[in-house]
Amino acid sequence: MNIVVRKLIAKELYVNRWLIIGATLSGVLSVLIAATGNKAAFNIGMLTWITTIIAFGVMLGIYGVANERKEHTLLFVLSLPISTGDYVRAKQIGLSLCFFMPWLFSSAAAVALILMHPDIPDGLLPFTVLLCVFMLANFLLVVCGALHARSEALVSAVIIVTNMAVSAFMFTVAAIPAIGSTMFGPTPIWNDTTWTVLAAELVLLATAFLLPFLFAARSRDFI
Amino acid sequence: MYSGLNISQTDARPMYLQIMEQIRQRIAAGDWAAGRELPSIRVLAADLRVSVITIKRAYLDLESEGVIVTRHGKGSFVADVNGLAGELQEEKLDEHLTAAAGIATGLGMSADDLAARLRRVHKTLEKKK
Amino acid sequence: MNPTKHLEMRGVRKTYRYFTLDDLSMDIEPGQILGFVGPNGAGKSTTIRLAMGMIAPDAGEVRILGHDIISAQALAKRDVGFVSAEMRLLPHASLGWHMRFVASIYPGWDGTYAEKLVKRFNLRPEQNVRALSTGEHVKAVLLLALARRPRLLILDEPTNGLDPVARHEVLSEFMDVLRDDSRSILFSSHNTVDVERISDRITFIDRGRIVDSSDKEDFLERWRRIHLQLLPGATLPDLPNIVGNARDGQFVTLTTNHFSDAQIAQLGGQVRDVQRMNLEEIFVANVMHHREARGQ
Repeated sequence: MNIVVRKLIAKELYVNRWLIIGATLSGVLSVLIAATGNKAAFNIGMLTWITTIIAFGVMLGIYGVANERKEHTLLFVLSLPISTGDYVRAKQIGLSLCFFMPWLFSSAAAVALILMHPDIPDGLLPFTVLLCVFMLANFLLVVCGALHARSEALVSAVIIVTNMAVSAFMFTVAAIPAIGSTMFGPTPIWNDTTWTVLAAELVLLATAFLLPFLFAARSRDFI
Repeated sequence: MYSGLNISQTDARPMYLQIMEQIRQRIAAGDWAAGRELPSIRVLAADLRVSVITIKRAYLDLESEGVIVTRHGKGSFVADVNGLAGELQEEKLDEHLTAAAGIATGLGMSADDLAARLRRVHKTLEKKK
Repeated sequence: MNPTKHLEMRGVRKTYRYFTLDDLSMDIEPGQILGFVGPNGAGKSTTIRLAMGMIAPDAGEVRILGHDIISAQALAKRDVGFVSAEMRLLPHASLGWHMRFVASIYPGWDGTYAEKLVKRFNLRPEQNVRALSTGEHVKAVLLLALARRPRLLILDEPTNGLDPVARHEVLSEFMDVLRDDSRSILFSSHNTVDVERISDRITFIDRGRIVDSSDKEDFLERWRRIHLQLLPGATLPDLPNIVGNARDGQFVTLTTNHFSDAQIAQLGGQVRDVQRMNLEEIFVANVMHHREARGQ
């Protein structure tokens, strides 16, 4: 990986530093709110937690990719001694790293909440893990879409669809008997269904992450 | 930074001619003595903010006039030629004559008419002396 | 020894839905400034982006500093400075950050020269990019390119938004680049006065095709406006190389692209004036002539 790519990845982290810190704090704070005890607080906290992660992902997708193209900062970056393929790779790795820390902290906080809080059933653990992984896959899909799509409309469409997918995911997975029936139990149950869903998510995640390296990076027309 | 010469783009005359004239003036006045090295083409181009090709042309034309001498690989130098002042004056004369001829043509005068007129003027001047 | 051309485009074609750039060939030799002039929509920006490898040609070859721009893009751009009026610096950072960023990437960065330019261009490195005016932004982008002392500078409307003083300073910096005869500049601009002044060669582009390309002095020598007053009852002789003809009664203005004394001789006493043309006039007349010839 040449030095310019590494510098661009560092630049991605630098440029989004406030967003990263803000999202991390927001995610952890939401968990703390949810931990305060009553049902209302839990719901608010959970909602804020989900919104934080989704919104953060969307903003990275928009400011990180689509806006850069629109605002012509892309011209500056492309004037550097890199190929268009280098640009895509630096973007993909850079944005993924930006997302990773807040996501990891927020997910860990949520898992900790479930396991440590006496009133919250540990049975929620598998569902929560599936949800966290899904949101990571979601983010990677948004970035993948932004790196391939040329029109703003298409990028917006990707963002809207993936956001709707989170709610859809939550309802659908919770409705699966093998998962839904054990969700509110005292122990986390990892059965075949959970593993299958997890495997599907990981495949989706890997595909969304790798696609830009295979397609967008090969694109010959970048502007 | 050598900023002795001055080029105007609003002047009707092309840039290379302006450069040539200003160099000739300095040589005629003695400011640029015979044998003195001229600034290199690139240096003068950068100083005047004018293209290299324009300076090249000025130097080439000055050389064909015998005003400067270019030694390959060494640079350009003011030529060691006398009567340069006279040459300058003759050039001025040509300019005036060209202008007069232009006006004459506009009036529909022939070359003979113009020559006759010139002789009359010359005679008047001679009488005044 | 034959030095490699700094830019070489051969038979380049790029097709878009409503526009095609066709059979484009362009060269820049080391030590040269090439002025690139064309109306809006002619394909100047497309050509420049092809030169920078930001888009790939459908046909033809593009080489920068001897490297094929597509297969060796990163390598080629190492010694190229690109400045475009459309370019924006990263909005969340300061000019100083950009200077450190660029300096860390390019070994050719000259910190002393950069400091000198900061003063000359009247910029403040700590200032956030978003707070810069248009003119200051352009100067910042120019600084980042110039301080690297690249061998080839590709400039797309580099003087847009600059006040006359800034333009004067910027042009001085460009010409300073040419003190080193191993460096070259591609200068694309609507500012035909500046292009006329500092370019060695000029290339005209219109509607996706190169219309004309020649030494600047050659253009200025060949093109003339000939003002005539026709004698009563006289008709215009059929002269070669006349590309424009405007008539108002007896008064005719001919535009020629290959001025010669023979033309004057043929017109005789009817000639009232012969005027040189500046680059802008030549450019407009040239484009009009070629559009007519193509039946547009």
